[in-house]
Amino acid sequence: MGLLNYLTATSLDEDYAHASERRAREQAGEAGSDRGSGRRRTGHGTALVVLALFGVLVATAFVQTARSADDAAERHDELVKQVLARRDQLQQQRGRAEELRAETESLQNTYLQATAEGRSLQARLERLGLATGADPAQGPGVRVVVDDGPTSGGADAEVLDVDLQKLVNGLWLSGAEAVAVNGQRLTALSAIRLAGPVITVNYERISGPYTVTAIGDPATLAARFVDTPGGQWWLDLQALYGVQFRIDRAESLTLPASRRVDLRHARTTEVMQ
Amino acid sequence: MIAGLGLLLGVLLGLVLQPTVPIWLQPYLPIAVVAALDAVFGALRAFLDGIFDDKVFVVSFVSNVLIAALIVYLGDQLGVGGQLSTGVIVVLGIRIFSNVAAIRRHLFHA
Repeated sequence: MGLLNYLTATSLDEDYAHASERRAREQAGEAGSDRGSGRRRTGHGTALVVLALFGVLVATAFVQTARSADDAAERHDELVKQVLARRDQLQQQRGRAEELRAETESLQNTYLQATAEGRSLQARLERLGLATGADPAQGPGVRVVVDDGPTSGGADAEVLDVDLQKLVNGLWLSGAEAVAVNGQRLTALSAIRLAGPVITVNYERISGPYTVTAIGDPATLAARFVDTPGGQWWLDLQALYGVQFRIDRAESLTLPASRRVDLRHARTTEVMQ
Repeated sequence: MIAGLGLLLGVLLGLVLQPTVPIWLQPYLPIAVVAALDAVFGALRAFLDGIFDDKVFVVSFVSNVLIAALIVYLGDQLGVGGQLSTGVIVVLGIRIFSNVAAIRRHLFHA
């Protein structure tokens, strides 16, 4: 408060008061002489020059600001253009990578078909592809649809990452051979996690209702699931909080391949026959 | 009246010539303008108070501009340029406001 008061009280330079006092004293001392007024007349010229200087300063600042604003807009546009170009390029490269992958696969198949050893190798590749999620999978199984309970249930009735994890683990335990959540194939490297308010699977955001598809024996999968800890967990969730949970048999399910299965560190110790 | 003409002349001169400001001087230009604005409003108030003195005006103008630029320069060197600029703007802004209030009282007797 003291500082503000001081600022407003001394907003006018004190020198003006001092100068006018001194002038008054001089005029009182040399009454009748016009020296003081003569000095003032020449002085106004300097004030004029300074004011003109101020004008130049203001105009320059104005011009400069306008100019740099233009510059900034130009640079922004340029960057946006670059980003779009790079994005196009990335898209093209992705398409090309996809093409090459398909080509590699067809070539591989052609060569493997040629020999008996190759055919057995191919059978093994297919088996591994299914197990690791590198290949799309098809077959009978169950479709589990879960969703948040009534909003009156509050946060307790929301499906969490833990719930989905238990559900998926229960399905594996009941004999599922391939599992996908909302079309995201689960592999050994998949993670079901909560990222803020949304659940991510394979680092892709998904939202409810959550559809978990599992390929396995449709006759036993559902019955065995209920006996697993995951099944018990979900029955409890349904009974206590009204979380929606439905499990249906499906005659034919198609699970997509996982988007990427790159192993950076793991190596096989030996090649099995 | 003459002062207004001088100001107009300066603005026109600046707009016509469009002097290019060297890069190293650019950050100090806006703060220099605000400091100059403070000196000009102070001079106008002194003029209306009847105690205007051109020497004081010239000195206050030049020293205001230089000190404001110096403070910002120092702040830039110390890494607190933005904060110091804000401080200078706040102080000068308060001074300008109270000077303009005094000028208003003179002109409108309100």
